[in-house]
Amino acid sequence: MRRTVSILVLPALLFIFIFFVLPILFLLAQSFLDPETGQLTLTGYIDFFQKETSQIIYVRTLRLGLTITLINIVLAYPASYVLARMPARRRTMAMSLVILPLMTNPVARTYAWLIILGRTGLINNTLLGLGLIERPERLIYTEGAIILGLTQLFLPLMILSLVSAMENIPKDVEQAARSLGANGITAFLRVIVPLSADGLVLGATLVFTGSITAYVTPVILGGNRMLMLSTLLRQRSMMAFDEQGATVVAVVMIVTALAVNLIVRMLRPKPTAQR
Amino acid sequence: MKISRWYYVSLGIVYFFLLGPFLIIFAASFGAESTLSFPPRGFSLDWFANIFANDNFIRSFWTSLQLGLLSTFLSLLFGVPVAYALTHFDFKGAGLVETLFSLPILVPGLVIGLAMLNFFVLFGKFDMMMGLMAGHTAILFPYSVRVVSVALRNLDPAVEEAAVNLGANRLRTFLLIVLPNIRAGIAAAFILGFITSFNNVPVSVYLSAPGVNTLPIAMLSYMEYYFDPTIAALSTLLILFSLLLVQAAERVLGLSQFV
Repeated sequence: MRRTVSILVLPALLFIFIFFVLPILFLLAQSFLDPETGQLTLTGYIDFFQKETSQIIYVRTLRLGLTITLINIVLAYPASYVLARMPARRRTMAMSLVILPLMTNPVARTYAWLIILGRTGLINNTLLGLGLIERPERLIYTEGAIILGLTQLFLPLMILSLVSAMENIPKDVEQAARSLGANGITAFLRVIVPLSADGLVLGATLVFTGSITAYVTPVILGGNRMLMLSTLLRQRSMMAFDEQGATVVAVVMIVTALAVNLIVRMLRPKPTAQR
Repeated sequence: MKISRWYYVSLGIVYFFLLGPFLIIFAASFGAESTLSFPPRGFSLDWFANIFANDNFIRSFWTSLQLGLLSTFLSLLFGVPVAYALTHFDFKGAGLVETLFSLPILVPGLVIGLAMLNFFVLFGKFDMMMGLMAGHTAILFPYSVRVVSVALRNLDPAVEEAAVNLGANRLRTFLLIVLPNIRAGIAAAFILGFITSFNNVPVSVYLSAPGVNTLPIAMLSYMEYYFDPTIAALSTLLILFSLLLVQAAERVLGLSQFV
């Protein structure tokens, strides 16, 4: 059996080791090495956490991640409930529309928001036409634009997580609550929400880590004026040719994402499905 | 039990938010003006013609298509045996193997791209297409391993036992009995992998060079210089393509249960 397992697993392990594990380890090492002398150094990290610009960007990234997660929870909860209660055939159809943004070319998906928020876009033209503003407002390259774009991207993940948790709630439980005198909202908050908490936690983790590491949406809707960690990373490696600075941002990003996953797992010791 | 209509209102809002922007792209791609504006004025198909007149779009489309098909195939070629081992044998280190193959999803794509570029550069000149292929295959592993594992777990073990009892060896049983029975799972993994690769930006953005880039990267660089609705037209085509693929896959395979 050991030989069979080795034959099955080793080629893939070798592949992932050479093309994934080694490069990541190398990047980790780069972040601690002085690019000129090759000596061990913490300057990259000290710079990152001391400079005001990178501090602002780090805090902004976390704050946007949190905001997007909260908006997603509020939008997704009632909608997921309807989806979970649909008959199977209709739900299949409905879900395939929900996951469309996840499956669409990210540039195409984000481009829609440029048409809506741009200088001559839907919102500016409408407000100008109504005489509410005199000249176009700058709506792209703002935090709001990033929030809109990332909410559209991650709402499907939140809904998928919630629907799969809610499917398993028997209808009787809710009926029992109702017949004991709970009204619709109470039944929802006291019965449905606690029983779908696993899905909520999984969905929130996916949305938060996805938001703080997303690239295409911040690059198009935030640009260089509203940097997030990912766009800072790209800027440092390409425009500033600050190789070490870029690897530091990369490590901060990985560690933050993994830490969130770890904290969530520790708070909820029950094993939850990993995406 | 009746669901209050407020829930339906909220579902409506969600759909409006998720799909409304796509309708706006469709409308914008037919506008006649050469700078993008909304609502569009006039009607024109020029922007669609423009896509096919642009060499970079055509070339990068073929690159993306090849890359998507080959890297998905490779990730399955390496990944299916892993899924088989994880579902059929209780071996030491199985947990570790499972974690290792789910890591490429936890590590941000941009970090993977940068790490690979820095690593490949160590060895001097390297072929960009090979770099892209390796990067995409690595990020597709988690999908292949997980989706195929789900399909293997859902397969009734009695089917395999029957084949073995009748004298077929493991490999024969796998090729003739197991594989045909999990073809829906393989197809779902293939579609999911292909879409993931075809749409990837963060890994590709670091592994592109003049002449070798993928379609989304070509779109991003076009957007830096031009503000006409060509990208809207191309987006319309890509959204329709995703819509068809997702509808078909959802109907036949129940794609959303694997996402």
